[in-house]
Amino acid sequence: MTSSPRRITALAMGAIAALTLAACTGSSGSKPSSTQSGGVVQITLSHGYTDVEAKAVTAQVATWNASNPKIQVKLVFNGGNDGALQKTLAGLAAGSSPDIAYEFGSSMAALAGRSQVVDLSNKVKDSSFKWTDFYSFERDAATSSGKVYGVPALVDNLALVYNKKLFDNAGLAYPTDSWTWDDFRAAAKKLTDASRKQYGWAYVADGSEDTTWRWLAMLWQAGGDLVSADGKKAAFDSPAGLKATQLLHDMAVTDKSVYLDQGNGNYLNLFNSGKIGMLWTGPWDLSSINSDVNYGVQILPAAEGTHSSIAGPDNWMVFNNGAAREQAAWTFLTWLTSAQTHGEFTLATGDLPTRASETKLDSYTGYLAKYPGDAVFVLNLGNVTKARPNTKSYPQVSQAIGSQMQGVLIGQTAPQSALTAAAQQADGALASGQ
Amino acid sequence: MTSATAPPAAGPSPVHRRPSVLLRVWWSDTFAGWAFISPTVLLIGLFGLVPVVWAFVLSFEQNDLISPGRWVGLDNYRKLLHDPAFSNSVRNTVVYTLVFVPVCVIGSLLVAALLNRRIRGITFYRVAVFIPVVTSTVATATMFNWLLDPDFGVVNAALNKVGIASQGFFRDPKEALLAIVLMTVWGWLGFGVIIYLAALQSVSADLLEAAAIDGCTRWRAFWRVEVPLLAPATLFLVIWLTINSLQLFDEIFVTTKGGPVGSTTVVVYYLYVQAFQFFNGGYASAIAYALFMAILVITAIQLKVGRRLSHGER
Amino acid sequence: MPNPTEAPALVKPLRDDDLSQAAHRHRPSPWHFLLLPLSLIMLTPLVWMVVTAVSTPEESRQFPPALPTSIQWSNFADVWAGSPFGHWLVNTAIVSGVVLISNLVLCSTAGYAFARLRFRGSGIAFMLLLTTLMVPFQVVLIPTLLIVKSFGLIDHLGALIVPNLVTAFGVFMMRQFFLALPPDLEEAARIDGASRLGVFMKILLPLMGPPLATLAILTFLSIWNDFLWPLVAIQSPENMTMQLGLSTFQGAHLTDWPLLMAATLMSQLPVIVLFLLAQRVFVRSIASSGIK
Repeated sequence: MTSSPRRITALAMGAIAALTLAACTGSSGSKPSSTQSGGVVQITLSHGYTDVEAKAVTAQVATWNASNPKIQVKLVFNGGNDGALQKTLAGLAAGSSPDIAYEFGSSMAALAGRSQVVDLSNKVKDSSFKWTDFYSFERDAATSSGKVYGVPALVDNLALVYNKKLFDNAGLAYPTDSWTWDDFRAAAKKLTDASRKQYGWAYVADGSEDTTWRWLAMLWQAGGDLVSADGKKAAFDSPAGLKATQLLHDMAVTDKSVYLDQGNGNYLNLFNSGKIGMLWTGPWDLSSINSDVNYGVQILPAAEGTHSSIAGPDNWMVFNNGAAREQAAWTFLTWLTSAQTHGEFTLATGDLPTRASETKLDSYTGYLAKYPGDAVFVLNLGNVTKARPNTKSYPQVSQAIGSQMQGVLIGQTAPQSALTAAAQQADGALASGQ
Repeated sequence: MTSATAPPAAGPSPVHRRPSVLLRVWWSDTFAGWAFISPTVLLIGLFGLVPVVWAFVLSFEQNDLISPGRWVGLDNYRKLLHDPAFSNSVRNTVVYTLVFVPVCVIGSLLVAALLNRRIRGITFYRVAVFIPVVTSTVATATMFNWLLDPDFGVVNAALNKVGIASQGFFRDPKEALLAIVLMTVWGWLGFGVIIYLAALQSVSADLLEAAAIDGCTRWRAFWRVEVPLLAPATLFLVIWLTINSLQLFDEIFVTTKGGPVGSTTVVVYYLYVQAFQFFNGGYASAIAYALFMAILVITAIQLKVGRRLSHGER
Repeated sequence: MPNPTEAPALVKPLRDDDLSQAAHRHRPSPWHFLLLPLSLIMLTPLVWMVVTAVSTPEESRQFPPALPTSIQWSNFADVWAGSPFGHWLVNTAIVSGVVLISNLVLCSTAGYAFARLRFRGSGIAFMLLLTTLMVPFQVVLIPTLLIVKSFGLIDHLGALIVPNLVTAFGVFMMRQFFLALPPDLEEAARIDGASRLGVFMKILLPLMGPPLATLAILTFLSIWNDFLWPLVAIQSPENMTMQLGLSTFQGAHLTDWPLLMAATLMSQLPVIVLFLLAQRVFVRSIASSGIK
C-alpha cells in the first residue's frame, strides 16, 4: 500500500510508467564505458537463484572469472520471484540494465522486440553454439515473432508424483506409464478418505496460470488445442476441452477426491504429511519432499493414448550496453549454457538438462544416481509436444481459463458454461490482436 | 477543495480579531508558514508530485509495453465505463472499504482505550497488539491460510467443535472478501492503536475529573469527553485507512489473487493484472487515475465533514 | 474549549506516588481477561514464526504444522554465517536512521504550519501534498526512479534516503495532532512577542512527545520494511537493505522457511526495540486518565 508502514511483500507490480517510458528512453544509447578499463570488460548477470542454485551459479561465475581475466562477471540478485520483471522494466527505463538477466518464460512476450533487448537470432545460428541441441519447445519459448531473444536457462515439466505408502495402504498398484484418466480417477477416489482428511489428488485452484497449465496438459492429452491454427480464435471450447473440464468437475465436485490448494504451495506440505496421494508437479518440488516420504514419479495419465505434458522454460536474455559488453556477455553466456557447464550445474542442483546432449555426458549417470526422481522428468521432456503460445494475448487467455476452472473446481460453474465463458473472453482478447 | 483544508478547526482566535495586529500577523504567518513548509513542499513536490503528473500523461496513451505509446485521448477512460470486470473490482473495493474502515477505526479506539492504563504487563499487551504491524505480509498470509484452510484449518476445527459446519473462507466466493477484511483488520489494528494512544495522551486529566465530578460514568465520560477530543486523530485515521483500503493490493496478492471467480478482485489488483499480466500499460494508468479521482473526492468530503463535526462539538 | 492552564497536566511527569499506587494494587485488574486473549490472537503469527525458526527444513514442510522435536538454535547462527546479514543491518539502519530524524523535523514543522498558520497557498499546498498519497506507488515508481537517477543516486543508499526525507503521511499526521492542541496555548506567548519559531520550539514541541514517538515508529518501520523501492533503486549486493536481503532466502519453488523465519525475526528486533522505547511516552498522562 502506498507509503503505508506495511509495504512489505514483494509487490509484484512494477511501474506502469515503465511500460511507456522504457519504450521512450530505449534509444538512450550505449552506456559510458567506465566498466571497461585496461582491456577488461566487466559485465553483470542478474538472477533470482537462491539456496543451492545460488551457490552453484556463484561457484561457476568464480570459476569463469579466475580463468578469464578479460571478461569479469558480477552477479546481481533480481529480487526473486515477484520482483524480477519489475526490476527489469525499471532497469530498462533508467538505463541501468544488467548485461544478462534471468527472465521467466512468461516475460518473453513483454520484453521481446524492445530496442535494448538483443536479438540473438544470428548469434545462435553459429554452428558451434549448437542451438538445435536445446529441446524444440525450449527454442519456441525463447522465440517471439520469429526472432530469438533468449537462451534456455531452466526447463521443467509436469509429471505424476505419488506417495507409495498411501498406495500400499489402499491396496492399489502404483501408477504405470499406460495409465488412463479412468485409472487415475479411480485411484484418486480410492486414496480419498474423508474421515482421515486424506485426498487422492491436489490441484492448485488459485485461478492463476498454475490452474491453467495443468488443465492445458489435460486438454492436450484429450487431443484438444488452445487456439485455432491462425491464432485468431479460441479452440478449446471443444469435445476435448469439455472432457478435460468434466474430469476436473467429476473428481473435485462429485468424488471430492481433490484437495484445492489456494496457491500457497500447501499441497506439498500435505503431501509430506501423508494427506495427499498424488500430485501433478515439476522437478522443483522433489527437493522439498521430506526424506521419510517414499515417493514415485510417473508420466501423466493419457486420455486418447497421449501422455502429453507441459513445460514452462525460463530464459537468459541479453541487454544492450554497448558492443563490447554485448560481445562479452555473449561469450560468457555461450560458456554458461554449454552442455558441459550446464551439466555441472544440474549435477549440483538437480535441475533438468536443457540440452539433449547433456544426457550423454559422463556425469549424467552420476546425476541420475544423485537425483533418481529426475529420470522420469527427463524422459517426460519427450511428452512435451506443444508449447503455450508466446503472444501478448496469452496471459488474458490464461486468466480467462484459470478463473473459470476455479469456478468448476469449487462447484460453482458447470463445465460447459465455464468453457463457453472462457472461450468468449479468450476470443475477445485474441481478436483485439494483443 | 481548498476551503476544506483551510487551517485550524479551532475557531477564530482573538488575535485575528484585532485589526491593528492583523496585518503584522498575516505577514509574519505567511513568511513563517512558507519557511516552515518549503523544505517539505520542495521534496514532496519533486519526488511525489512530479511523478504523479508524469504518470498521468500515460493514461491518455495506448501502450503494449513494446512499441512507444500512442496518444489515444480519453479512450482508456471510455473503455472503463464498459468494462464489467472493472465495475466488479469497484464493487469489491467499495464493499471492502465500507466494512474495513469503520471496523478498524472503532476497534483501534477501543483497544487503545484498553491499553491506555497502568496495569501489570501493559507493555507486553502493547507489543502484542503492535506485532502484526511489524509482521511481513507474506508471513501473515501464510498464517491465515493455515488458520482458515477449509479442510485442515484450526478455525474450522474450532467451529466444528461447537457444532458449526466448516466454512470455505478464502475458497468461498461469498466469504473470501470478509476473510480478507478479517485478516487486514488484524494487521492494521496496531497501527490505529498507536495513533489513538498518542492522541489519548493529550486528553487532559482535569477535564476527565470534571466529568467524573459531574457524575458521568466512565463509559459516558469516554464517549462524551475523550472521543470528541480525539476528532483530529480520528479524521486522520479515517482518511488514511480509506486511502489505503481503496488501494488494497498486498493482502490480495499473497492470498486469493483476486479469486475465487473474481470475488476479491479489487481495483488495484485489477490494475496490476492489466499492467503486469496483460501489459495494457495505458489502460492500467487510466484505472489508477480513475481511482485517484475517487480518492481525491472522498478525501475532500471527509476533510470537510470532519471539520464541520469538530466545529459542532466545540 | 479546554483551558490553557491545563497545559502542564499534559506533560505531567510520572510521580513516585503514581508508581507506588500501581504497584500496590492487590487484585489483578479485570482488564486482563480482555487483554490476554486479545494478545494471544495478535501473537499467533509470531508464535508460528518462532516455531518455524527453530525447526528443521523437513519439520517446516509439514501440514498441519508440527512442533519441532529439537530446537534448532543454529538457524540463527546460520543466517549470520551464510549471508551478509550484518551488512544489510547496517545499510538499513543508516537509511532508516537518517530518514527518521529528518521526518521528525520536517513533518512537525510542516504539520505545525498547516495546522496553525493562516497563509496564502497553505490550503492548496496541503491538498497537493495529500494527492501524492492517492496514486498507487507502483504507478509513480519509474518517474521517481528517473528523477533520482538525475541526481546520480542510483545504486546508492542516498536513493533510499532522499525521496523519503519527508513523507506526506507524516505531515498529515502531525498536522492533525497540532490541531488537537488548544490554540490558546500559543496565543499568550504570541502577544508577548514570541516568534512563531519560538512558540513552536518552546511551547508546542514539548507537548508533542506522543505523536512524535508514533511518527518515529511508523516512519522507521516503513523504511525498514520497504522492498519495492530498494529493489529498483539498488543494484549492487553491497548496497542491499534488509528486505532485499531477506528475499534472497525465498526461491521461486524452494524456500528454506526456518532460515527465512530466523532471519525475519532478527530483522524485526530493531523495530520492536524502537517500539518498546517509544511506547514509554504513552504512559505520561496515564495516571490521570483513569477516571475515579
